[in-house]
Amino acid sequence: MALLEVEHVYKTYKDATRSLTVLNDISFTINKGEFVCLVGPSGSGKSTLLRMIAGLDRPTQGEIRYRGKPINGVTDKIAVVFQSFGLFPWLTVMENVALGLEAKGVPRPEREKIASKYIDKVGLDGFEEAYPRELSRGMKQRVGIARALAMDPELLCMDEPFSALDAFTAQNLREEVLDLWLDVTLPVKSVLMVTHGIEEAVFMADRIIVLSKRPARVLADVKIELPRPRNMRDQAFAAIVDKIYSLLF
Amino acid sequence: MLKRVGNLGLTVVTVALLSAFAYFAYHGHRITELAGQTTVFPTLGILPYYALRSFLRMLAAYFLSLIFSLAYGYKAATDARAEKILLPILDVLQSVPILGFFPAAIYFFVSLFRGSILGIELASIFLIFTSQAWNMTFGFYESITTIPDELKEVADAYRVTGWRRFVKLYLPAGIPKLVYNSILSWSGGWYFLIAAEIITIGPVEYSLPGLGSYLIRTAEEGELGLTLAGLATLVAIITVMNTFIWHPLSTWAENFKYEFETGGGRQVPKGWGYRLWYEAPVFRELRKLMVSGGSALGRALVSLGSKLPGRSYFPWFSRIISWGFLLLLAYSLLRGLIALVILFLPPWHPEIFTIPQAIFYSFLRLLAAYILSLLWTLPVAIWMGHNEKAYNVLMPVFEVLASVPATALFPILVFILVGFAGGMELAAVLLVLTGMQWYLLFNIVAGVKSIPKDMKEAAMVFGLKGFKYLHRVVFPALIPSLVTGSITAWGGGWNALIVSEYVVYAGQTYMAFGIGSLLDKAIYSTGNFQVIWSSLMAMVVVIVTLNRFFWRKLYEWAAAKFSFEAEE
Repeated sequence: MALLEVEHVYKTYKDATRSLTVLNDISFTINKGEFVCLVGPSGSGKSTLLRMIAGLDRPTQGEIRYRGKPINGVTDKIAVVFQSFGLFPWLTVMENVALGLEAKGVPRPEREKIASKYIDKVGLDGFEEAYPRELSRGMKQRVGIARALAMDPELLCMDEPFSALDAFTAQNLREEVLDLWLDVTLPVKSVLMVTHGIEEAVFMADRIIVLSKRPARVLADVKIELPRPRNMRDQAFAAIVDKIYSLLF
Repeated sequence: MLKRVGNLGLTVVTVALLSAFAYFAYHGHRITELAGQTTVFPTLGILPYYALRSFLRMLAAYFLSLIFSLAYGYKAATDARAEKILLPILDVLQSVPILGFFPAAIYFFVSLFRGSILGIELASIFLIFTSQAWNMTFGFYESITTIPDELKEVADAYRVTGWRRFVKLYLPAGIPKLVYNSILSWSGGWYFLIAAEIITIGPVEYSLPGLGSYLIRTAEEGELGLTLAGLATLVAIITVMNTFIWHPLSTWAENFKYEFETGGGRQVPKGWGYRLWYEAPVFRELRKLMVSGGSALGRALVSLGSKLPGRSYFPWFSRIISWGFLLLLAYSLLRGLIALVILFLPPWHPEIFTIPQAIFYSFLRLLAAYILSLLWTLPVAIWMGHNEKAYNVLMPVFEVLASVPATALFPILVFILVGFAGGMELAAVLLVLTGMQWYLLFNIVAGVKSIPKDMKEAAMVFGLKGFKYLHRVVFPALIPSLVTGSITAWGGGWNALIVSEYVVYAGQTYMAFGIGSLLDKAIYSTGNFQVIWSSLMAMVVVIVTLNRFFWRKLYEWAAAKFSFEAEE
């Protein structure tokens, strides 16, 4: 059974004089164990769609189901990684990572144990007591990822997680995220990532869902069957990138 | 701040507030008898005790303001429907000359406590509160509404709700502005404290033991040495607080700011006042005690909050409160209107017809003080903004000077000027000036300092010098901060007017004809309520009109035309 089902989802913004349709009849599914990327031009509503899946927003029409049940607000099983990290500047790395656990009512010793496990996993061992302002951007996004993983999610939603990073840091972090996803000791089964980088999507994803410009429809659902680890300079890699470019332009 | 008020909302709220006050004051005015009397002893030995009393008064008012700001700001920022009512109220409260409403507050509290001393004490705390609360509330409101969307989404996604959301998100986000505004509020508070410790009700004058009444009493008796000693005590208290509390707190508040530039090891500069709390023996323990006390309180609140059935309990609770509030407002509106109508039945007191003229005279006085302030602050600020050495030397001096509440200087100024012909006229302008000049100076300095370095370098590369440099670079750059400074200066000026045009010195009353003296005379000698209320209302109307049709337009124009940051 599919982990997540998006069915005939519409999103329309209305004010007094105008209405703007951002998403126009979007349907797709994400299966257990899949790494899915949503690509599309800016303003195509990718991030809105991700927010609706995370329960932060609601569709105007249509339904999104997680394990067969309609999504009604945020759930424990879906965690979010944000584009500009979303770290609380007044909390330490440890407190930021443990924030969701704290809200869930996990007692302090236990949540600190869980948090430090994931801080280690993302390679920030020794930075537990640092504040976000003392970290580089790449390190900040690692905190964001650790915070999501600490929630023990089955579906990890990432909203352009590498777009605020420089090219080198971004490529390192991409590979590490893939390692984390492949790590069997982690509960994460599936990943949904929003991006406007087609190369990035082809590098990471099992499947790419291509959205058109506004009002967005699903242009294509492309399976990427390249073996991992992938090489961006590969002939086959370039062919897939070209194919998706030609869909969009 | 000036932007958010709808026309209708403003009118309704103004009427409601005025009528509520009118009602309470009208009601209270019948009880003017006070039980008991205290005398203020003009001796040196009692000074520390008076200083302590004044300080405690300030502290009580400050805690009231803090609690008010947190509750009111939170409600206004998180409840869109409440916001529509709460913000206009705050806007009006902020722009009325609070000193003018002091008598109403006294009558209210005195009648509430049946003429006991406690009523007077509370009235003075209330007055100080009204000078501290509004800017802090606006600051907290603005901090909540400007929290980056992503942080709010994080809080949603990780289900940080209720009390925990307040403690982990809203409160920390508000700390920089709360600290900044607390500093402003304390200096505003000292200003009002001095004026709020001697209270005259009809024929009865009542003094609270404190620094303010000490200063005024000694000046009245011509004991200049004792006045100066009191002044020195005041400056000492303010300086000690600045060094040991406000400077360290401002440094600490830096930790709660968002960063927008690329990160990586940004270090906040730490002064010795800040390090003291971390390294000096007694201070260190005291800080730890306060921190652990604070976090224990926070935890207690969070666990209390999570035990309450949050979602269902709070809306129900707040609905009852807001309905109660509405009912009370409606009731006092009705009673107030009736009282006002009765009050304004003819015959009218002849002084009412002099109000337009009085306002005009006062306006001219404000204008004179404003131009005088501008004449000295503009060149000094531009010079300080370009000369690092001058800035480092002069800024602390001006900060100390500005921290002396101008009201404390009044007796001395009057002592010097009263001998000359037309001395009172000059004194009134100078007194108003003391309430205006610092706002201008500090705002303009900040404006000049904020000229981007590459603009200065570009000017240098293209050979812009002297007047051309001022004309093309400096003036356009400082216009937004000049406008902001002018708005606050005029606000301070209207307030200062009420204490500037009517001064009692050594048993004699000195007056300069204007709206302030008209009001004071009605309050302190004739007790004519028709005159009191019509002067107040005329003043509020003039100020609100000026704010809406002049200052706001000017502000919008300046912000649109001269801002460095492109608007999106």
